Amino acid sequence: MFKMAIKNFRRDWKAGEVKVLFFALIVAVAAMTAISVITDRIQRAMGEQASEFLGADYVISSPREIPQEWLLEAQNNNLIAATGKNVSTVISRGDKFQLVSVRVVDDFYPLKGELEIAVAPFEVGNKVQAKPDQGKLWVEPRVLSLLESKVGDIIEFGNTELIISGVVVSGPGQASEVFNVAPGIIINSADLAVADILGPGSRVNNQMLLAGEEAAREAYIKWLKPQLNETQRITGGKEGTPALQASLSRAESFLRLASLVSVILAGVAIAVAAGRFSRRHYDYAAIYRCLGMRIRQVHQLYLWQLALIGLIGVGLGVVIGLAIQQLIIWQFANVLPQPMVSIGLVPIIVSAFSGLVVLLGFALPSFFQIAKVPPLRVLRKELMPLAVSGWIIYALAIGSMAVLMWWQSGSWLLVGILLIVSIIAFIVIRLFAWLIFKIGIWLGKRSPTSVRFGLGQLKRYPAYTISQITAFGLAFMIMLSTYLIRTELLTEWQNQMPADAPNHFLINVQDYEVEALDTILQKNNVETSGIYPMVRGRVTRLNGELANEVLSKEEYQQARALRRELNLTWMKDLPAANKLVEGNWWLQDDESFDPSAVKISISTEIQNMMKVKIGDKLSFDIGGLSVEGQIANVREIQWDSFQPNFFVIFEPQGLKDFPASYITSFNIAKSQKPMLNQILEQMPTVTIIELDKIMEQVQKILDQVTLAVEFIMLFVLLAGIAVLYAVLQANREERVLSATLLKTLGAKSPFIRSGLIAELALLGIFSGLLAVICSELMVSSLYINVLDLTAKPHLIFWLVVPLAAAIFISVVGWFGIKSILKQPAYQVLRQT
Amino acid sequence: MLTTQNLTKTVSSQEQDLTILSEVTLTINEGDIVAIIGASGSGKSTLLSLLAGLDVPTSGEVILANHKLHELDEDERAGVRAQFVGFIFQSFHLLPGLTALENVMLPIELKGGKSPRKDALAILDKVGLSERVKHYPNQLSGGEQQRVAIARAFASEPKILFADEPTGNLDSANGQKVVDLLFELNEQFGTTLVLVTHDQNLANRCDRQLSLEAGRLVADTSEQSDSVSSNTKATVKAVSSEAKVAS
Repeated sequence: MFKMAIKNFRRDWKAGEVKVLFFALIVAVAAMTAISVITDRIQRAMGEQASEFLGADYVISSPREIPQEWLLEAQNNNLIAATGKNVSTVISRGDKFQLVSVRVVDDFYPLKGELEIAVAPFEVGNKVQAKPDQGKLWVEPRVLSLLESKVGDIIEFGNTELIISGVVVSGPGQASEVFNVAPGIIINSADLAVADILGPGSRVNNQMLLAGEEAAREAYIKWLKPQLNETQRITGGKEGTPALQASLSRAESFLRLASLVSVILAGVAIAVAAGRFSRRHYDYAAIYRCLGMRIRQVHQLYLWQLALIGLIGVGLGVVIGLAIQQLIIWQFANVLPQPMVSIGLVPIIVSAFSGLVVLLGFALPSFFQIAKVPPLRVLRKELMPLAVSGWIIYALAIGSMAVLMWWQSGSWLLVGILLIVSIIAFIVIRLFAWLIFKIGIWLGKRSPTSVRFGLGQLKRYPAYTISQITAFGLAFMIMLSTYLIRTELLTEWQNQMPADAPNHFLINVQDYEVEALDTILQKNNVETSGIYPMVRGRVTRLNGELANEVLSKEEYQQARALRRELNLTWMKDLPAANKLVEGNWWLQDDESFDPSAVKISISTEIQNMMKVKIGDKLSFDIGGLSVEGQIANVREIQWDSFQPNFFVIFEPQGLKDFPASYITSFNIAKSQKPMLNQILEQMPTVTIIELDKIMEQVQKILDQVTLAVEFIMLFVLLAGIAVLYAVLQANREERVLSATLLKTLGAKSPFIRSGLIAELALLGIFSGLLAVICSELMVSSLYINVLDLTAKPHLIFWLVVPLAAAIFISVVGWFGIKSILKQPAYQVLRQT
Repeated sequence: MLTTQNLTKTVSSQEQDLTILSEVTLTINEGDIVAIIGASGSGKSTLLSLLAGLDVPTSGEVILANHKLHELDEDERAGVRAQFVGFIFQSFHLLPGLTALENVMLPIELKGGKSPRKDALAILDKVGLSERVKHYPNQLSGGEQQRVAIARAFASEPKILFADEPTGNLDSANGQKVVDLLFELNEQFGTTLVLVTHDQNLANRCDRQLSLEAGRLVADTSEQSDSVSSNTKATVKAVSSEAKVAS
């Protein structure tokens, strides 16, 4: 039977019977393989990058020495472990003293990523994974200006002296430490003992850095976690760059969603193609049966064929998918993380299995049907096989869809939304069927004959028409929704990371320095996002009562913002990356200022943490003085905007009596970096935070994700085309037959042509409208529930999509039939 | 070879049961050449489908080569067909995706023949199509297609061959050729032949004619002349309620 199946398969292959089935399966598997392999690789590579950011896969911090036992266990787990300390102390050179944050390196540093050490500030340096030699230290650029020193100078460090041997240009941990007021230095641990700076009560942050294989380190962390006390903390490499979290998780949702819809589309194409395949094999099966083949044998014959299609299709799909992802990785090596991690086996296996699940879920019922053909069909062609119960077909398809959705997305919420929308779509389709009749009857009375003929065709087999509209509508809907979401995401990312986004922050600018700073910036043609005053203060009371008494103990514990000093500012206008969600922004004239009821604006985070509403009063302690503000409005802050953001903003006059330092941000090119030296020379206390490296990385990651998004779009389109093609192909015979019969009855070609095109175009219009309605429903639901975007209608598509659908279906449909209509009628009738 | 007893087929329509074939009892012996004749709708094709085990009777019995077809399920009947039966159809029913050769090989393979290719080529040669073995059905004329169908029917050397209007789709010249071929091969293989036709000329070439009218067997030439040929040793009785053969 297997030999025969191979033979039949070859024959069907030659005759083009399995073309659509194959195409759909290959698209599904290739899409899944390429997408899951590439996202897996990018994700793992980005995890690596995140580790480089941290200097290790994991950092364990403790105020006390790291127990020897932890280090031993790490070694037993084949992990690389290194220890170090962070302490604060004062260093000096001559009469200059400076508080610094000291990184004490025991072994070598960092475990992941590299330190870039240069001989002068803001120059390109060497990348190293090491520690300074004993007697030497590396410093951040600020230290040099603060101590009026250069590389090679000697500074005093506790009881010892150290030589500055390099400037830290970049290194791990910079992102998390950007708002550290004290500049950093790196020393060898041998020098710490000699310096003898640690007395009782000194605050030391002991650290253990860990790196190694994922499985080993996760096992280790699992072992370690229960042993940690409140003061000890694990920082994991998976957190990545905080500013990117929202964008990345959105992109991931999109990719999963899109790969899923390409699979579902391919599933529909497979179902349609399998249906056609099975109908075209009823006669074969009847003859086989008539010649004495048993039902089991016919089942075997066709199941073998299905298995062959599955194996070859899945194999080809995996190979093509891998080739495509490799091509993308080569092509876009410059934007992808380097070095790229190897291909994981898991996504390939999952994709291959998913392909088989789609094939079985959508094609098995049709294939199973074939053997049920009664042999008597050889004498009575109208005999059809006993239908497999509709419920079984739907249950199988929906079940396999749900399994795949869950597999791909890991989110039951997503699965639920998609399934519910599918059900709504089916209800809408039913409504449409009714509409089609109404419109058909109404149009039928006054339209030209050819259109009447086309409509008549649609009206004649309502169930058949509905199934076609469903399939076309579904394909267009999915293509459209994917396109809409993709466009929305890309636009948002571009807005979020404009080319001129600030890449440098200056903080600790004093009142008297503002003018001088402004002059330097203007001289260098640098535009800032504004110079904001900043006052540090702590929230003490809510509506006159002590904050820790109003809130429950748990609430107070969670409200971290209450327990530390906040950066407060005052502003005339609502800042750009903020959105007012409650209340009104204040009027801009100074005269409306009422010192007894100072207005403040709070962020949604503060609102949620402190459970406050508009009109409530917050008291702040600013350097021992108290000031009260009344909440006038609530803002939602876009934290990944790279602008200075504030939890609490006062109205312009609100903080005028308090001494403020200033903060500003601007975008400069690499070539303008020397200006930073100029600033540091003139105002050594100013802290410069260089975000350009981080932003470069952010931009790179966004580019990677954009690429992935664009490329999955291609697969969705391919899968959509597979569906359209499969449906047109499946109904081709019927159209050919009815057109040929008309020809036999004496109808002229122009009439047949216009009738057919009218029928196809009407199908296109109906399915296009259906697609737009369902897309709007689906997209807004996804925007709100999954992607966290605001939903809005896309009116232009209500016109464009039905038109495009009508043109596409009639053109493709017509070209599929055209050649047949040129043949003599009897020849066509003989073949069908 | 083949006997039936009170073979009846009724189908239910919306209003009432419709009897297509009523109490047909007959016997066909090995080597017989029998024509089933009658007007359209008289039940010829239904009788053929029951005799060949393609369909099951509503009541009555069919015994083919000692197998009680009426008691067998679909698969068991398929087994009997593979073993003993060959078919020729009005619309040829060649598998369009197979070449002439592959079409002829199929029943040999199903029966488990040892050299399907060689046997198929030999019989295609006999029907005069050795030049066209690699052609697909749509590359052959109607007459040629029916010759392939005849070759396929004899390829598995069936004990009994059923032909349903074998010349129905052919012009008279081609029809004549096909009939000649059919009878020629039949003589060579000594196959029992049952053919349905309303072509009286064709019927006249058969040893026996069974005549159907409204589902009833109304005439059997073997009853009128018992010694027309050596092949008609069969005793076929017209069905009558009085003359039932005990099973």
